[in-house]
Amino acid sequence: MAIDLTVNGVRHSVDVAPETPLLWVIRDQLGLTGTKFSCGIAQCGACTLHIDGQPVRSCSYPVSSAAGKTVTTIEGLSPDGTHPVQLAWIELDVPQCGYCQSGMIMSVAALLSKRRNPSDAEIDTEITNACRCSTYHRIRKAIRLAASKMSSQGRL
Amino acid sequence: MRNNDVNKPGLSRRDLLSNAAAATGALVVGFWMPQRAAGQMTNPEGAAWATEPDVKEINAWVVVAPDNTVTIRIAQTELGQGVWTSNAMMVCEELQCEWSKVRPQYASANRDGQEMAPEWTLEVMGKGATDPFGGGEPEFGRRGRTGTEGIPNSLYRRMRTNAAASVKDGRYYLQLAGAEARERLLLAAAKSWGVPFEEVGSANSVITHRPTGRTTTYGQVAALAAQTPHPNPERIRIKPPSEWTLMGTEQKNLDVPMKVTGKTIYGIDVKLPGMKWAAVKTCPVYGGTLKSYDFGRIRNEPGVISAVEIPIPDPSLIRDRTFSAGVAIIAESWYQAKTALDKMPIEWDVPPENAARNTANMRAALLASLDKPGKVRVNLGDCDSAFANGAKNGVNNTVKIIEASYFTPYLPRARMEPGNATVLVSDNRVDIWIGDQSPQETRYSASRITGIPERNVYLHMCHLGGGFGRNGNGPQAEQAIYIANQNRGTPIHLLWSREEDFVGTTYRAMGVARLRAALDADGWPIAIEVRTAMDEKAPGAIAAFDRASRYHVPNYRFSTHSETFHIPVGTRRGVGQPAHDFYRESFIDELAHAAGKDPYLYRRELISRTNLPYKADMLMALDTAAKMSGWGTPLPQGSARAIALEERGAEGHGHATISAQVHTVSVSKQGEVRLLRVDVAHEEGFGLVNPLSVRKQLEGQITWFYNDTMHQQCNVVDGRIAENNFDRFPLSRIKEDPPDINITFFKTGHWLRGMGHDRGTSLQSGIADAVFQITGKRYRDLPLRNHDLTWG
Repeated sequence: MAIDLTVNGVRHSVDVAPETPLLWVIRDQLGLTGTKFSCGIAQCGACTLHIDGQPVRSCSYPVSSAAGKTVTTIEGLSPDGTHPVQLAWIELDVPQCGYCQSGMIMSVAALLSKRRNPSDAEIDTEITNACRCSTYHRIRKAIRLAASKMSSQGRL
Repeated sequence: MRNNDVNKPGLSRRDLLSNAAAATGALVVGFWMPQRAAGQMTNPEGAAWATEPDVKEINAWVVVAPDNTVTIRIAQTELGQGVWTSNAMMVCEELQCEWSKVRPQYASANRDGQEMAPEWTLEVMGKGATDPFGGGEPEFGRRGRTGTEGIPNSLYRRMRTNAAASVKDGRYYLQLAGAEARERLLLAAAKSWGVPFEEVGSANSVITHRPTGRTTTYGQVAALAAQTPHPNPERIRIKPPSEWTLMGTEQKNLDVPMKVTGKTIYGIDVKLPGMKWAAVKTCPVYGGTLKSYDFGRIRNEPGVISAVEIPIPDPSLIRDRTFSAGVAIIAESWYQAKTALDKMPIEWDVPPENAARNTANMRAALLASLDKPGKVRVNLGDCDSAFANGAKNGVNNTVKIIEASYFTPYLPRARMEPGNATVLVSDNRVDIWIGDQSPQETRYSASRITGIPERNVYLHMCHLGGGFGRNGNGPQAEQAIYIANQNRGTPIHLLWSREEDFVGTTYRAMGVARLRAALDADGWPIAIEVRTAMDEKAPGAIAAFDRASRYHVPNYRFSTHSETFHIPVGTRRGVGQPAHDFYRESFIDELAHAAGKDPYLYRRELISRTNLPYKADMLMALDTAAKMSGWGTPLPQGSARAIALEERGAEGHGHATISAQVHTVSVSKQGEVRLLRVDVAHEEGFGLVNPLSVRKQLEGQITWFYNDTMHQQCNVVDGRIAENNFDRFPLSRIKEDPPDINITFFKTGHWLRGMGHDRGTSLQSGIADAVFQITGKRYRDLPLRNHDLTWG
């Protein structure tokens, strides 16, 4: 069955079983491997991407539900890696192994797009991605830095 | 599909690979092999694999391009510890090239199997006998090509990524490689100018003839340097820490820009033309074999191609550990393979003695082993008399006997990237794309499994999505090689599900300990006896207690005991150190409380009474951490501080790593634990190569051992591991990260034993002791989530 979806601004028609998780369509059919597989049960968040701007754990999200929607992956977050969250991540040298960071960055970008300057409590509630290297300490600082970059750019 | 370039059928494999390289920007990850190897290689389309530009190397570690880009080969695997950056820094320090133009690239394990390291690099400054800077002997000497201990003499020396040793051991030969390359570049310049070598110097890739001020660049003379041998390389000296300019400075990791854009290539991301995917299920009870499976039931599922039975991987290839047999389903996509596999009926033959194991009976067996004769590792003074006299004197209340038993569970690494490998076996060649902490061993495995000689095995190294212990990679490579060997000509990408990753990993062994002390009337120990027990094959049995007590006691005995279980055990982060640190530091806290003394000052006094070589450094660590934390200042009700020593090698090996941490913890009356603040005093020895990397590692290890303390355990139920995904095996999230982490480095007069894996172990005793101070409840088995922490 052909399913139409828009990924990073490009329209695709994919022919896969409708229950196939979006993660595997993104990775296998579309070749966008920045979005990662880790737990397969929507626990860890390594597979987080945006659907119509909302963070979604794509390992447990059937591709059919994305039909007609706009999907953004880490590759499409910014044209050249200069989204304020990416810049903050570089400035504070956040990643270690980096495997969870695509999902982490997508979660943070989604949070900052709705909350310009989130409180610690909001960060605690909204950022539920797991990082096994435990880069959380730098992540919290980098969220603050990204927020300040965004407000100085007048960006929401 | 439309509007999608990535899978456009017209693109050749070469295009795909070079696009992948281009997409990574300046850095090239994976997909590289030395030119001459590439020349020998063909693929089904007859095109060469991606090759590096036609630039001759100066030596096996250094390639300088005409535009002054310097490629530095990295023989360890980047798994978040920053080795791509720190190893490159050590070469660059000596080479004096422009840091912004350094490009790390994985060294070739294939070439390592065919060439030996230059003779003059085998023994280092001081000829390996002593480190001229007081660090004692480096932990390697002359070894065979693939020596199981120490560092082989093959071209890239140790290609393992383990034992916190990449910097510690690498600095000798990496600094030498940089120094030799620089001298040959200078020689080439001097030769082309016809001037004496002594008159040329260099900085930032620019070579200057001092008398005339004439300049050239590394890039301009690189081709000549590649053909200019060093006349007397054995005379090359490497810079001592006092001369470092790049080493010792905080450098951001070179691969971070790729990691924030999703462009890093991990093993899981490898995709080759014609590649098929394999999903695997092996018997969840280790040692189990395949009794039956019904492939007919899933044969017509979408994408399914075939089934491959996998025998128990040869234990001799995987450090003598026995995993399980199983079955793989090959399909067009992994999701199809995995979905079909989940529907396929499978029956196992399970060894009944293994299936009879569970956490409770294994724990009981370990506890019982403590009363059997063990291996006495240290026996100083006369413990028996001291305890006997203590018992006698106890009647008069002058001597107190304290005894405590501790428990630590099985723990996996649970790295975020599940095990995987892509393998193509053709008639006389094996290609493996993998994130691997032991490429030299995988090269050997590939040869043994396929019968193809090692010289025809090519590993294409990828970044790893977490490491945390070398043999946590389990038999991912061996399974993939086996399956691909049954499907010669077809690239097979094996990927474990998360649940299968919990079967494929080794575990840190379950452990128990019983510590006993006799305290004199002032509360100081007269005798301490330590008995520990874990699986016979568990590494690190002597950690933290060996050779001498770190805390002064006139009579000291340490014995290790063991049982043989079926769970494959291995080197998880810190190896034996974390569990043993928990036992030791918890017990010292208990003694301090029994003596009515401050746990910081109690430790301080006992360390100062020893004759240990790094006594002053241990005291400095404790004093610094205590001072940083405001030790002794009042805290609100429901909060407490705990201090602990962390050390490896303090008993005196010529290397040590010493630190101390203070943990400030609150526990609500409902039993919610919050780690509020961590103060870390960490030595830097003569110097840290990249202090930023060390900071990041320390931050990460704090949360790692917080998880071990609070949350994580793997229980054995009917012989299998019960917790096999992140729903039942919890990972802490940002909300549990301590708001304050303060790190202070202090100088000491020796080299470090590395620091990548056994810092932060004190979280365990620290949180447990804070819980005791706040709630009055002393828990001696981890994780603490199993216990009632409410109070008031």
